[in-house]
Order: sequence, then structure tokens, then C-alpha cells
Amino acid sequence: MEQKKYWQSFGELNNSEAHQKSAQDEFREELPFESFDAEGLGDAKTPRRDFLKYVGFSTAAAALAASCEMPVKKAIPFVNRPVDITPGIANYYATTYVSGGDAIPVVAKVRDGRPIKIEGNELSTWTKGGTSAQVQASVLDLYDTARLRFPMANGKEVSTLDAFDKMVGEAMASLGAAPLVLLTSTVNSPSSKQVITEFLAKYPGGRHVQYDAISYSGMLLANEASYGRRAIPSYNFDTAKVIVSLGADFLGTWLNPVEFARAYTKGRKIDEKNISMSKHYQFEGMLSMTGANADERFTHRPSETGAVAASILALLNGGSVSGVTGDKLKQGIAKVAKDLAANRGQALVVSGSNDVNVQVIVNAINEAIGANGTTINWGAPMQNKAGIDSEMATLVNEMNSGTIGAVLIYDVNPAYDYYDAAKFISGLKKVRVSVSFNEKMDETTELCKYILPSSHYLESWGDAEPKAGYISLMQPTISPLFKTRQWQDSLLKWSGNATTYADYHKNFWTTKLGSNETYLKAMQDGVIEPATAPAGGGGFNGGGVAAAVTSIASAKKGGKVEVVLYQKASIGDGRHANNPWLQEMPDPITRATWDNYVMMSPVKGKELFDIDLTNNTQADQYEAFPEKPVLKVKVGNNTEVELPVLLIPGMHPDTIAIAVGYGRSEKIGRAATGVGKNVFQFASFNGTTVINYADAAIEKTAAKYKVATTQTHSSYEGRHEVVKEITLDEFKKNPTKILDGRAKELEPWGGLENYEKDGTLYPVFDKPGIKWGMNIDMNSCYGCGACVVACTAENNVSVVGKPEVLRAHDMHWLRIDRYFAGNINDAESIQTVFQPMLCQHCDNAPCENVCPVAATNHSSEGLNQMTYNRCIGTRYCANNCPYKVRRFNWADYTGADSFGDNMDGAIGSNTVINMMNDDLTRMVLNPDVTVRSRGVIEKCSFCVQRLQEGKLEAKKAGRPLEDRDVKTACQQACSADAIVFGNVNNKNSAISKERADNKNRLFYVLEQIHVLPNVSYLAKVRNTDTLSVHAEHAAETHAAPAAGSKPEAAH
Amino acid sequence: MASLRYESQVREPLVTGTKTYHDVTQDIVRPIEMKPSFLWKVGFTISVLLLLFGVYSVYREVVYGIGEWNLNKTIGWGWDITNFVWWVGIGHAGTLISAILLLFRQGWRTGVNRAAEAMTIFAVMCAGQFPIFHMGRVWMAFFVLPYPNTRGPLWVNFSSPLLWDVFAISTYFTVSLLFWYSGLLPDIATVRDRAREKWRKHMYGVLSFGWTGSTKHWQRHEALSLVLAGLSTPLVLSVHTIVSFDFATSVIPGWHTTIFPPYFVAGAIFSGFAMVQTLLIITRKVLNLEDYITMEHIEVMNKVIVLTGSIVGVAYITELFISWYGQNVYEMAAFQNRWDLSTPYGWSYWLMMGCNVLAPQFFWFRKLRRNLLFTFFMSIIVNVGMWFERFVIIVTSVYRDYIPSSWSTYYAPTIWEVGFYLGTFGLFFTCFFLFAKYFPVIAIAEIKHILKKNGESFKENMVEEERATPEKFAHEHAH
Repeated sequence: MEQKKYWQSFGELNNSEAHQKSAQDEFREELPFESFDAEGLGDAKTPRRDFLKYVGFSTAAAALAASCEMPVKKAIPFVNRPVDITPGIANYYATTYVSGGDAIPVVAKVRDGRPIKIEGNELSTWTKGGTSAQVQASVLDLYDTARLRFPMANGKEVSTLDAFDKMVGEAMASLGAAPLVLLTSTVNSPSSKQVITEFLAKYPGGRHVQYDAISYSGMLLANEASYGRRAIPSYNFDTAKVIVSLGADFLGTWLNPVEFARAYTKGRKIDEKNISMSKHYQFEGMLSMTGANADERFTHRPSETGAVAASILALLNGGSVSGVTGDKLKQGIAKVAKDLAANRGQALVVSGSNDVNVQVIVNAINEAIGANGTTINWGAPMQNKAGIDSEMATLVNEMNSGTIGAVLIYDVNPAYDYYDAAKFISGLKKVRVSVSFNEKMDETTELCKYILPSSHYLESWGDAEPKAGYISLMQPTISPLFKTRQWQDSLLKWSGNATTYADYHKNFWTTKLGSNETYLKAMQDGVIEPATAPAGGGGFNGGGVAAAVTSIASAKKGGKVEVVLYQKASIGDGRHANNPWLQEMPDPITRATWDNYVMMSPVKGKELFDIDLTNNTQADQYEAFPEKPVLKVKVGNNTEVELPVLLIPGMHPDTIAIAVGYGRSEKIGRAATGVGKNVFQFASFNGTTVINYADAAIEKTAAKYKVATTQTHSSYEGRHEVVKEITLDEFKKNPTKILDGRAKELEPWGGLENYEKDGTLYPVFDKPGIKWGMNIDMNSCYGCGACVVACTAENNVSVVGKPEVLRAHDMHWLRIDRYFAGNINDAESIQTVFQPMLCQHCDNAPCENVCPVAATNHSSEGLNQMTYNRCIGTRYCANNCPYKVRRFNWADYTGADSFGDNMDGAIGSNTVINMMNDDLTRMVLNPDVTVRSRGVIEKCSFCVQRLQEGKLEAKKAGRPLEDRDVKTACQQACSADAIVFGNVNNKNSAISKERADNKNRLFYVLEQIHVLPNVSYLAKVRNTDTLSVHAEHAAETHAAPAAGSKPEAAH
Repeated sequence: MASLRYESQVREPLVTGTKTYHDVTQDIVRPIEMKPSFLWKVGFTISVLLLLFGVYSVYREVVYGIGEWNLNKTIGWGWDITNFVWWVGIGHAGTLISAILLLFRQGWRTGVNRAAEAMTIFAVMCAGQFPIFHMGRVWMAFFVLPYPNTRGPLWVNFSSPLLWDVFAISTYFTVSLLFWYSGLLPDIATVRDRAREKWRKHMYGVLSFGWTGSTKHWQRHEALSLVLAGLSTPLVLSVHTIVSFDFATSVIPGWHTTIFPPYFVAGAIFSGFAMVQTLLIITRKVLNLEDYITMEHIEVMNKVIVLTGSIVGVAYITELFISWYGQNVYEMAAFQNRWDLSTPYGWSYWLMMGCNVLAPQFFWFRKLRRNLLFTFFMSIIVNVGMWFERFVIIVTSVYRDYIPSSWSTYYAPTIWEVGFYLGTFGLFFTCFFLFAKYFPVIAIAEIKHILKKNGESFKENMVEEERATPEKFAHEHAH
């Protein structure tokens, strides 16, 4: 075939000379540099203009090259892709959070080899994925800059673990007959228990002592007396119709709060078709988080707990009240006794007392009301606390007498938290060989000769059995960051066993479970649980009750003022003190961060400091300034501390409360340094158990101290559009009362049906596809703060430290507003409400239209979204947000600033911010969420990164989005299932059902201003006779929620 | 006693001291041609120092963040926007005097308009600093401009009042600057023509844009003045109306108030005139211009002050009444938070009330209106009051709004927040001192329009008969 030729021009066709030349030069145009030479610039072909161009270009290029130099950051790709890691895709590993005997089954989210978030394990029947603030925060401890990084002996680094083993081995070989003691927190790990047994077998005369910083030995001993078992039963708060707590903070800190909170809130969920809920009475001296959730609450001195218990028992047995003061308290006891008797088999009494006698009486009450076997379950006893105070006391005595040869310490810190720490310290100095297995240099570890850093739970193998039969397995999610070793490994090695604990653990469970497959399945699930929940009562023996009653009756009466020690839901016994997330989490009751303080009744406050909170001027003065008066508290003859005072309504007038867990040593870490004072020394030993209250001498000082609180005003001022509550009786009688109230409010603008359309001049748009919505049940929320920390972890929310919280620069996207109602001078009248508050993602968002650059706008799925790199920081949106949920980056909190070295010298700079921006700590950041730079606004995004991921999952699977695809971090963390989230356009979604099923309690905060929020709330139902109101608003009737407020024109 | 020739018995002469046209030029241009006085040097130095302190305060804020100020999660705007609104308000008198009073043919304006216009421009310059530097990321401030960009459909948000501010204030500034400068042209030419030094000739030559004083120039100049006056007049009303929209269009109780536009405009004129008083009382003294800025001027402006002050007072009381009449809990609480002295900021409300509503009532008395010292004192009081008005509106509304949990702690400024404000004083007075030194502070050309030169000279040259009263000629009429 003839070759065809196409031509583009006649020149090409004819192949003219001109064409040849042009084709040759097509892409070449010589830069006329050569003409720069000898002839002189003036004559050059290159004119002056060109010269200037070159000069200009090269100057600009040089300037750009010099000034735009960015710091070199090395990102080295994997040469071979590790198995199971897909960059950008998270892996989830089931493991177990353990801390001093407490164990919560969790799932660790691992991104590119780094654990970055802890979620509850939803396969566990007793947590159902619930967690606590401490569990959520525990991932940050992994990256704590203060962790011990290498073994030490006599204060010097030991180069290798083998060398360390050799030194310890030699030291222990030289002990001779002097016994060895393994001092740990409660160990409920089956495999570890076996390791301990094997280890102690190698050291004859050695023994294992368990010590709990917060002791439950009163309960253990009382149960031994009553039921013949030194154990603690499970409690069924969900099936109890009447719950009486004698000072037990079972929702916050007592025994196993995650389980109890879950069950408790289950018993208080309202089904509108069959309205009922449990009734919760609380007797206590201080206002605890649990007390704040009680339907009725009676206050008494801590020393009267026994008398209250004895009186209840007496009334149940036909006797009379004795030993208690105050009419309200007496009436309360009578009411409780009547209610308990009426609900036989459906009632439960628990007590937080560590006094054996009190617990014996409580056991007798529970027996009398038929709780044993119904609400008290001996089928699966709790195993998370087993320490006996007298054993510890004996050990400390022996240590002081010099008879103990070696003490191996794991996970306990008696040099800080023992009631007589000085004695323990002096004893420890007399022990020849002291070894500490610890993650951090705490007060006890500091004093030990040999220090072996132990691994964080996320780096460890293990297991836990917090309830008999309910096992949770632990697997490492990252290889140890430092030269650390699990304590079990050390014990194995030192008992001459060559296997590693990992293999030991695998053998242990493979043998137990029968095969490798079942073992792997169990590791994958994380939990091993009995097929049917074991249940049953215990054999009761009432023999000791009479003696207990007598001994209570003859107990010494308390002094003028009593101090009671308590744990905060955040810091607990102090082991989490160096966790900035927890330090910055506001206390549920006081809303204070970064400190411990004296909680005091306003009555006492007026008496002592002349601050009258019923007087507006004085109340404003007290609220508006962070400087609080300082009180000197003295217990016994030699222990005194000075602490700031917070006036908290609901406190017993003669009781003050101080949180333990503060005042840590400087070596524990930068976050804990200088925060609060230690008050463990206020506890005392009564010969059997440690008692956590004492008579106190208080004295006012002239000093003032700044306390950083995130909420200053405590009353909701009768604003029924903010908080709606109703009594159970009223709700039964008139179920649509709240709905009617809303209808009445909205009547002028189309009523409930047409409010969206008629409440505005603007057109209403369709909202097809997905529309995200959230519902929060205020009857379930009990204020624990797990969601707050979960949100912080998920969304890289900055920690700003005390100096910034003091200036109200806290950054939490989600906060839990706490309001008191009632007469602040009458503790019994105080009712508390917790209201989680986050961005409401308004359909008609007032923040959106005021932003001059449209940096905050609305997504087609109903999200109010922030575009950080468009934000110029006018803060107009924050001003115009009626819910005040927008947060501004006042300073460089994240190290993401365009200005170098900005962390130093600015007001925003402090040690905590620097600590959070350490390269190690920054490993906890969620790579899916932008780290916000200085000068931009941020706020709740409904965890948009999770929503996108969920949508993708559904899309990949080719099915519509389902509820299981998306869970916000706060929703996941909640052990009470107070938060429901999903697509409201799907009529079958959980959120749609929740709203449809709870029409009568549903409300939107500030509905009248027509911002059309996408977060709905369910009104709180109180199982009480009356609702307390704020003193100033006592005149307003609750019959018509909007009686005090004529509707405001809609916008 | 009646005279043969009619003389107005009501109006005082606008220029006293029997000036000739030459005297006027001499009096007004002399300070420009002299060496700066000692007082000028002291004042200028202080202003520059204040300006430098302001620059450092802003530097800290830009480099370390808005955290250098004491704003917080509840109070997003404090001193920054208070100062902004305050300065914008002050910037109202100039244009009002030059534009509206020009259209209304108020002859007295010529004595004060130049200085008032200059004050307007400097005040708007100061005001502009706050919205710019209150931004968390000021280096991104250009995002507020609707410029063509490569970001696809990304555009400014035309429904945001802050964006309206951008347009309102930049327009106002541009028009005011043009108006002021076009008025200056003939006077600059006068200075140029009198100049002896070469640099002076050159500088004023350039600045005068080749003004020759030809009739054509004058004709165009007059036309331009009228056009610009026409343009400025609605601006006087619109700028502060739009500034008030920042608050009025929000949902915050205390901000969301329909009365704001007129109330803000009245307040702006009120504070603007007070600032004019402050400046002119000093200027006329220092530059010996008592013959041009007379007691009559002071009194007229005091009348404006008592009028606008009373309007503002009525607005305050209307707000209170409506908050009660509306019976909206949030609105009532917001206003209770203002007037209730026991609340943390109650004092600021009563300071505002005292300064803005009660104090100006003294100006009902002619004696006090014509008392220089008292007027000066009052002008300061009014501006303090007007600052607090904006503070009360901004801070006491937002520090306690809908959700009681978010009620704020007590907000007081940091040294850098105060420093920024002082810095704008530095900027303002630096500019004003330079203006007073290098430009005619009184519109020479315009004041010559109203100079009753011929009448006065004629009177001087009258013969005895002409001075006589009609009675003297009664017998002649009898014929």
C-alpha cells in the first residue's frame, strides 16, 4: 500500500527553505546572554530593560528561596508494607483498660501503628461499650513525656534489662530468711495470679499483699461476716425500683461505676406508653455526682452514716429512728424505710462507708428488704477491689521493724496515698531490697532501689476478671515505646521461667479455652463471658448485726465540722494526675479544673467568709471573679492544709469535702506539678479499716486563690426554654404537658407543625438525602464527662492549662452544663440537672450568616461546618451563637502556628501546652482531624470524619446508610446511652424512632428564636413530689412552662 | 436704636475682628509658615510615642494571638469593637458639617468644616484599625474583599453585616477624603503662592494639582463640592446605620434591637460634635483663630449636642421600656443586667446615662453653652459617655445571654488591649498635629465667602449723617 503523507502547510508540502528553518527553530529561542560581554552594556543587543529584568528576577528568586525555607520534615515510606496496615485506615484491637483493679473491656483504635482512641467494647454485656472519662483519657498516658524510659538501680540508669535482672537477682539471693513481699493493687487477672503463685513458690516465706488506695475492706469484711465470703456481690441497679445510697458515689467512683451507671440509667429510661422509673434516695454529707442525680437527697454528717443505716434498719424492724439530728433527715429516713418496705425484692441499699459495722447493717437492711438474690447478685461477685487494710497495716509495721527482706511494688503508691505515708516511707527505707514496677516516677518509686519501668496497658498482654466469670483479654496495640517490661515478665524471669509472658498468656488461655481457634476468637472479641448470666443470693448470717448496731450507737459523735475525702470522676485516687485531658475536664459538680479545693455549704460560707449568695451583688462578685477565699483545714494535731473554698449548694452545713489525688510530687509529670494539695493524710485507721472522714478545725485566712472553673453561674434562672423538667407524677397525670407548652409557645408562628415555615420571612428549603440529628436524654445523662474526654481525644481538642481556663479560654467542643435549683441555704431542696451542650447544628444557624467570609456554612446533610483555612477569626459567629458553643484559638495551643517559636513567651504559653505539643504526646493526635491553628474558631463537627467514613463504608457495601455505620465519639463513650445520633430523614433510624417515641418529652433548647437546632433533648423526669425552683423565680409557676416569658418575635 | 441701614439683630457675625481678605489669609496661613511652636513639638512627641506603643501592642497581638487580650469564650468582642464603633461615631461630625450643612446653606459651617473633616478622616482611619486587627488571622484579612480568585465559587458572604461594614466604611472614607481634599485645593494653592522656600513651593505645588484659580477651576470646584456633598449626605446616615446592623441583625438580646439605626446615627453625631469641640477649642486657642471659630460656633455646636444627646436619651429609655413591654425573659434579663447597679457592669450603664443623657442637659442654659471651659469639659464627658455606650451595648449584652452556664467572668482589658486604643489616639493626634502644621485648618476660600468685608468697611467710611438715626431726619420727612 502506498504510504500516505499528510501535510500541515504548503511550506511543508513543498519543503521550502523557510519551512526547514522554522521547523528547526520551532522550540528554540536563544536567551541573548552572550551579548553581555566586552562591548559594554550600552551597546549590547540586550537592552537595559532586559538587564533589569534579570536583576529583578534573580533578586526575587533569591529572596523567595531564602525566606520560604520550610523546616525539613522527614516522612519515610515503608519499603515493605506491613501486614494489616493500610495507611489511612484504622485498625481496631480489643483489649482491656486496667487501673488498680478496675478493668473495662475496650477497643483501641490504631492508626498507622499508633493507638489514638479508646472505645468501649460493645461485646461486653455489662458495659455494652460504655466507658468513663478515665478510660477515654488513658491513651494519652501512653504518650506521657514523664514515663520512665529505662531501668534504674540506686538512681542510675541500667543499660540493659539483663543487667538489671542480674542485679536484682543477686540482691534477692542475699536476702536469706527475710521474707519477700509482693505489694500490688488488686489483681484479678487469672494468668497473673498464677504467675504470682509460681513466683512466690520460689521465695519461701514470701507473700502477696493487695492494697487499694481507696479501700473497700469495710465491705469485704462485713460480707465475710454476713455472707461468709470475703467478696463484693454484683448489684442490679436496673431491676431495683427503689435505690438507696448511703454516701456511695456509684455513678462516679464507687466500685464499678461504668456498670452501675449503665444499669441505673436503664432503670430510669422513660417509656411513654408505660411510664415508670426507679426512685433514687441519697444520704450523704457532700454533694456527689450520684447525689446530684438522686430524686430525693438528705444530708447528714459523715459520722452519722452509721446512725442513718441503723435507723433505717430499726424502722424496717418496727423500731424507731435514733442517733440522727435534723427533722428533714428523720423524715427522710422514715420515708425511705416505708418505700423500701413497700418494694420488697425490688429495692437496693448500698453504702460507700468503709466501716465494717455500717456495712454489716446495710447487709441486714438488704436482707430485710429482700435484696439478697434479687438486686444483689452473688452469682458473679465483683473482683476489682480486694485489699484488706489490716494486712497493709501489718506490712507497714513489719517493714518498720526491719523484718521484711524485699518488697516488690506494682501499681500502688502508698508513699503518697497511704493514710500514714510517713510511716510507710520510713518502713520502705528499712527494706533491704525494694523494687518498683511502674510506668512513672511516683512518690513510692522514687524511694525504691530498683526501678523497672512497666509497660502501658496498650503495650501489654494480659487479662482481667473484674467480675467472676466475666473475663476481658488484653493485647498490645503498639510495641513498647521505651525500654519497659511488663511486671509479669519480670516475675516469670525472676522465678526462673524462661517463657515470656506473651507465650505464657497464650498457653494459659489456649489450655483454658480448648483450642487455638477459640483463643484467637477470644482475643478478637476481647471478652469471654458466661453463656447465661450467673445469678443467686448469698447465705445470710445476721449474727453480727446486733453488735454492729450497738457499736454504731456508742460511736463517738463528730465534732463541729467534719471533713470528708472524696474522689473526683476525673482524677480518681490520683493515679491519673498527670493526664492533662482529665485535669482539664471540669468536675461534674463544681465545674472546676486543675485543682482540688474545699467544697463548702453556702450557709457555712456566709458564716465564715460573709459571702451571702442570696444577695445578688455578693453572688455576682463571687461568681465573676476566680479569686476564692482560702481556708485552713486542720485534722488532728499535725496535718493541716490551706485550700480555696468553693461554695456548693447541697452540701451539709457542717461538712466540708476535699478531693484526694492532688498535690503530687514534681517527678510525676508536668501536668500534675503544683496542682492542688494532698489530703490522704486526713484519713485514719480505726483498727480494722481506713476511715475517710475526720473532725476538722477550720480557720479562714486572708489569702485568695484563683480557681479555674468553666461555668460560673449555677442557676438556669427559670429559663424553661433551656432546661425542661417535670415530676414523674405530673408526667403520668398529664403526659403532654411539655408538648403542650411548646405548642403554646410556637402558636403565633404556625404552631409545632408549621413553625419552620411560618416562623420566618425567608423561604424554606427541602432537605433531601441525609440529615444528621442528635438526641440527648436528660433523664439518662448523669454528668460523668466521659463524652467530654472522648470528644477531646477524637477531635484533637486543645488542652490549654489552668492559666487559660482561668481566662475562660477553655476549648471543649462539648461541655456538660450543670444547674442547681432550690434554696441554696437548704441542702435538701437542691436539685441538680446536667445538660450536655454542643453545637446544635442549627438549620437556620445565626453563626453562618454573620461570617463575612463564609467560613462557617451549612452542608447539604444539615451540618454546620467550619472551614478552618477560610476563617479569619472575627469571632462574630461566637458572639451570635445563642448556645455559646464556639471556641476560639486565642493563642498557639497546638504548635500549628505560622509564626515560629510562638509557644514561648506568649500569654497562652504554659507548661501544659508545651507538654501537649511534645513530639511524643502529639502521637495521640487523630490524623483525620485538622489541628487548628491560632486565630480560628472551632466547634463540634458531629465528628464529620466519622460520618464520612461511615458513608464510605455503606457505599462500598452498596447499601443505604445504617445506624451502625456512624457513631459520634460522645455517643460511643456514653455508658448511659443518653446520646442517640443518626439520619433523621430515615424513618427507621434510631434517632427517628427515639424522637417519635418520646414526643412528649422532646424539646429543643431556645426553640423560639427559630434557629432550628438539629440536637433535640428529652426533658428530665424527677421521681419527686415537687420541683425546686431558683429562689428568685419561686413566684413563677411551673404549670405553664412559658408563663414567665411571652414569646419573642421569631427571626 | 434703629439705624438707617438694616442690620440683622439676631445673627452674630460669623467672623469677628473686622478682617480684610488679606487678614484672613494671613491669619490662617501664618502658622504654616512659622517654625513649629514648643507646644506643638511636645504634643507631637507625645502623640508619636502613643502611636509607637500602639504599634507594639498590635505587634504582640498579631504575633502571639488575640489571647493577648482578655476576651473569652463568651465575650468575643470587647474593647476592640467598642473602640471601632466609638471612632466611627466620631468620624460622623465632619461629613455632617461639610455635606449636610452645605446643602442647608448653613454659613457658620465654614469656620469649622475643614478641621472637622480632617478629624473625620483621621477618626475613620483609627476606627478601621480595629476591625482589621481584631481578626485572629489578620494576614488573611484580604478574604473580606470580593476579588476574583482561583477558589472556584468561594466568595464573600454578602449577608454578613461585617461585610457591609467593609463597604460602608471604605466608601465613607473614600468620599470623605475626596471631599476634604478637593476643598483643600484652593487653599493649598494659596499656601503655594505665598511660599518662599523651594521645598515648600514644590510640595504645595504638587499637592495643589495645578490650581490656578481660574473661573473654570472655581466653577468645577463648586460643582464637585455639591456633587460630593450630595454623595456624602446619605453616607452620614448609612455608615452608622450599617455599623448598628452588626448588632441589630444578631440574635443576642440587647443587640437584636430595631431602634439601633437612628439611635446609632444620633449617637454618632453627638459624639462627633463633642470631639469637634474638644479639638477646636484647643486649636483656636493655640493658633489664635478666635476670630474665625467664635463663641457663636461653639454655641451652635452645643445646641446640636444637647439635641442629639436628648435623642440618645430617649432611645435609651425606649429600649428599657420595650424590654419591659415585650416581656421576653432574655430581653428583660439583658436590660436588667444593664440598669441594675448590683450587677458586675451596672456601673458602666449609669456612667453612660450620666454622661450622655443628664450632663448635656446643662446646655439648655445659654450661659453654659457659651462657656469655653465648661464646653471643653462637657465635650470630654460626652465622649467618655459615648465610649461607655458602645461598651455597654457590646459587653453587657453578650456577657450574660441565653444560656446561663456560659455567663462570663468579669472582663477587664489587658495592657495590650488598652495599648491598642491609646495607639489609635496616637495615630489620630499625630495626623491632626501634622494637619494643623501643614494645612490650613480653616477653609480660607470658603470663609471669604461669608466675610462681611464690604459692609464692615462701608460702615467704617460712613459720614456722620449716614450714622444718624431716622429721628434726626423726622422734620425733613414732615415736608
